[in-house]
Amino acid sequence: MTNIEKYTECFVMAFELQDDVNIEALEYQSIAQWDSAGHMVLMAMLEDCFEIMLETDDIIDFSSFEKGREIIKKYEVDL
Amino acid sequence: MLLEGKTAVITGCLQGIGRAALEIFAENGADVFACCQREDERFTRDIANLSVTCGVSITPVYFDLLDEEAVKNGARFIQKSKKSVDILVNVAGANFDALFHMVTMEQLKRTFTINFFSQVLFTQYITRLMLKHGSGSVINISSIAALDGNPGQLSYASSKAAIIAATKTMSEELGPKGIRVNALAPGVIKTEMTDAMPDDVRSRMISRSELKRIGLPDEVAGVILYLASDLSKYVTGQVIRVDGGIG
Repeated sequence: MTNIEKYTECFVMAFELQDDVNIEALEYQSIAQWDSAGHMVLMAMLEDCFEIMLETDDIIDFSSFEKGREIIKKYEVDL
Repeated sequence: MLLEGKTAVITGCLQGIGRAALEIFAENGADVFACCQREDERFTRDIANLSVTCGVSITPVYFDLLDEEAVKNGARFIQKSKKSVDILVNVAGANFDALFHMVTMEQLKRTFTINFFSQVLFTQYITRLMLKHGSGSVINISSIAALDGNPGQLSYASSKAAIIAATKTMSEELGPKGIRVNALAPGVIKTEMTDAMPDDVRSRMISRSELKRIGLPDEVAGVILYLASDLSKYVTGQVIRVDGGIG
């Protein structure tokens, strides 16, 4: 599994997404599951998946699928 | 064996309440990340023996709560172990006694850094490990000084009161994710901290308790064990006094 596939899978698992969801277009609070509580589950899954520990500022800035990619790249993950 | 198969993180394990918690957790089957401020040869030997006696894993983790980067590194070390963390006990703390008008801002900030800011930071990291499996128990050690006040303990009591507010807030936020958060408010417990108290102050506080004696660290650890275990699985957001009945 590539890193981008792992990254996408974290969203699927954290938010229990169905196949018809356009994951790449997801933004914070654009779906019911991505609320503040769901956000932290996503962060925990990403940390576990890529063996990183996110800074609080990055957790706050993680506002979309695309923005998240930029943030995760900062932790030397090739996305 | 109330904690068989569980993994706990305990801070302040070198002595006192943290040490007692470490021992009772190991005796009840928990693997433990034993966090201390500094390496200590005797402690290392003791936990190796405890680990063998109880058949559990005890991993020392060293960091100073005054050093934010060290706190993060401690959490990273635990994360990298890939163990599923079930319990966090925040025991480590510091006391600085001074009358209200004698408290410097530097002393106040230092006390809050150890007793509050770093504990919140560490708890943020460790509870994220709990979120993955949707369950956990966090136990924060506050003090009756936070509830009742105590002359000469402005910084200590205030920082411990902040921990109570954080406990209640975290409890509300993390409860829906299956994580319980509670606090203990010990009274006069026989630790290095209370050994350093003037005799008359300690005696006066003990005389206010209904049991008329000082508490022991393992008597606090027993309540920590209760809050860590499934015996308290419907208990969250609470502050439990362990003070021999100081009213």
